[in-house]
Amino acid sequence: MESLLTDLNRQEWLRAGAFFFSLILMPPLTVGIIRKTKARFQNRIGAPIFQPFYDLTKLLKKDETISNHVSWIFRSAPSINLSLLFIVACLAPWTTLHPFGIPGDLFLLIYLLAFSRFFTVLSALDAGSAFGGFGASREVTLALLVEPAIMLSLASLGVTAGTSDLTTVFSFENVKLQSQTGLWFIAGCGLFLSSLVELSRMPADDPTTHLELTMVHEAMILENSATNLALAELTHFVKIVVLLGISSQCFLHSLPWVWHASEITRALASIGGVFFMAAFIAVIESVAVKLRWTKLPEFIAYSVAMSIFCVLIALSRGTN
Amino acid sequence: MQVERIPSTFADLNVVLKERLGRLGHFTSIDGSQLIALILYPHEGKASLLEIPLEGANSYHSLTPHHAQLHWFERATYDMFGILPEGHPRFKHIYMHDPYEENFFPLRRVHLPENFQSPIKRHFSFLEVKGEGVYELPVGPIHAGIIEPGHFRFSCYGETIVNLEIQLGYVHRGVEKRLTEVALPRMHFIAEAVASDTAAANALAHAEAIESMLEIAVSERSKYLRSMALEIERLAMHIIDVGGIATDIGLLGISSTMGRLRGKALGLGDMLAGSRFLRGFIVPGGVRAAGRSLSNFKSQITILRHELKEPLNMFLDNQMALERMREIGVLKNSLCREFGMVGPAARASGEAYDTRQHFPHGAYPAMAPPVVTAKDGDILAREMVRIKEIWSTLDTLDRLIDNLPEGQTQMEVPDKLPANKIGLGVVEAFRGELVHLVLSGPKGEVLRYAIKHPSFNNWTALAIAIRNNLIADFPLCNKSFSLSYSGNDL
Repeated sequence: MESLLTDLNRQEWLRAGAFFFSLILMPPLTVGIIRKTKARFQNRIGAPIFQPFYDLTKLLKKDETISNHVSWIFRSAPSINLSLLFIVACLAPWTTLHPFGIPGDLFLLIYLLAFSRFFTVLSALDAGSAFGGFGASREVTLALLVEPAIMLSLASLGVTAGTSDLTTVFSFENVKLQSQTGLWFIAGCGLFLSSLVELSRMPADDPTTHLELTMVHEAMILENSATNLALAELTHFVKIVVLLGISSQCFLHSLPWVWHASEITRALASIGGVFFMAAFIAVIESVAVKLRWTKLPEFIAYSVAMSIFCVLIALSRGTN
Repeated sequence: MQVERIPSTFADLNVVLKERLGRLGHFTSIDGSQLIALILYPHEGKASLLEIPLEGANSYHSLTPHHAQLHWFERATYDMFGILPEGHPRFKHIYMHDPYEENFFPLRRVHLPENFQSPIKRHFSFLEVKGEGVYELPVGPIHAGIIEPGHFRFSCYGETIVNLEIQLGYVHRGVEKRLTEVALPRMHFIAEAVASDTAAANALAHAEAIESMLEIAVSERSKYLRSMALEIERLAMHIIDVGGIATDIGLLGISSTMGRLRGKALGLGDMLAGSRFLRGFIVPGGVRAAGRSLSNFKSQITILRHELKEPLNMFLDNQMALERMREIGVLKNSLCREFGMVGPAARASGEAYDTRQHFPHGAYPAMAPPVVTAKDGDILAREMVRIKEIWSTLDTLDRLIDNLPEGQTQMEVPDKLPANKIGLGVVEAFRGELVHLVLSGPKGEVLRYAIKHPSFNNWTALAIAIRNNLIADFPLCNKSFSLSYSGNDL
């Protein structure tokens, strides 16, 4: 009995170790993969995959330049945001290596993301530059449009599972029970499309542009430098991994072979899934064009439509 | 080109502009005691210089309220000569701001009237838009990319631009003044450095102006080689401008390919002139270091044509990209005429004006390609004009190298200008009509060297075209005009 307990504990600790290890390593690596793939698409060799690590360490070593007019919000927002995103990463089912079975409510998750956006927007306004102002206004407008899509996709999964606890919703026992392949797939598509907007990727925003007037996310962190910039960047990287992870988990849950796979296979598949999604984003960004600001609602409508399909499927199953 | 000097009055100038008898090529002064207006007659291929004496006065009734194209010319004339256009609707400095003394007018040679006081201040002012929800967005003069300095003041209502005010002059170097000071053999170095991306066109305009004063006729071979240099410059710049648009809408694959192909086009310049940027090639009297290794030239053009086909087709087949450029930054034909726009921007609004068709320079108008126009006047139209001109430029280069005559490339040039002459060079640079106007004094010294860069006409177009567009579309619109700061600031 006692040896069984320590065995269980060891497995649990191992899983937690792997989780935190991937939480630290994967965000910069994912961004590195996106950049490398994009470079290859442009016939360039591109920076090494590990370049984001070097960039972050370089930023941490630099001296900070801060406007005299900013308040504590600007100074502390990046650290607050990074902490919030680490909490989100611990709650969200972006990988099957979910440690200690921490329960994560889907509404809590969405509002934690909104809370971090709140601080990003405040710090952008705090710096007082005109770019920060319109970047913040654009970010909030986009968030307003995308939030229902994310909320509805996740909620429809919750309805079929009969709970809003994401750990239960994404547990494979539940999936086997429901065997709703189509629902998971459409939810995955809806979440992926809204992630593109939420993560300020093309076609909503061009992350590589130098043109301040067209920026959304970048315009908000224009005033950040050195450590503050490194933290803001890292926060964004973590957000990329978490949101891509959630949609890739949805796709993985729609594949029946994953339901019966061993835990190690699932863990590897979920890490591979994130990298695959990253490469897919790079492909989209190489062929797509940044849309006109006024055309963006049309694009977001696709992800909202997907999430409404999800709700319809979930509700029709529920009444049967 | 020969110019006829005609003493005239404001009434004459008014008639010429009102009846559209000719194009306004330049409007400035010689030493501050008169105004001169260069009138170009494209259909006759001639030019005349209207000289309006001020008779001791230091001001005149502004012509801008009736002829909008004089808008910047009158401001520039005040900056350089201190001649006041009374009743100018938007009067302020154009080149020279805060660091200069209030009554400093660099090109003025006659004394300022006693108790002269400049009616405008040197510091920055702009048209303020007021109302709830309107905010100011200052951009520049230091920009995020490696581009030239210019300050843009947007008055925005939400995401819409209500008004854009452009302030230039940060790269004012006093080129025109310097050109009156140096000896003739050294002049062409300064002339071609007016705007380095337009080196060949500026050198050609300078050479044409000087040669017309000295009454030298250059050999046929030189004319062809000069045209080739001009076309290579146009080719390279049009390629990178299309690539720039691709960058700004996020088609990075196409933009990096265009960057590489621009390098190949510059390689043609190296073959022709021994300088990728065609510096020091066109000089008064002919060309230097001519035809080093033209044996591969034709095959290189064929390769370039082949390599350009695919990225340009990919660009034009991408419906998202076309949608992104359509109906943004529209410049109507009527406005285009009123403001006297030039170059691809004017041709995209349906104005069929290409100086290669009308005025002799290099091997033109004999070898001039047909004029490329479009009618919509939006970003897409401007890019279509550029892309079609890339093809027509490649064709022209082919024809020039096929028909390249044998002969001398360098004529003897005296090292002094003749007295009391006027020289004029009108060249189609890749941005449009470029004018160099030289007037010599009684001892053969240069009294006035006036340059009108095509950007000088088109900066206003940008400010007009962007009104009521989205602020996020400005960089794209700006790129589609592809204007020069240093060429404007002189």
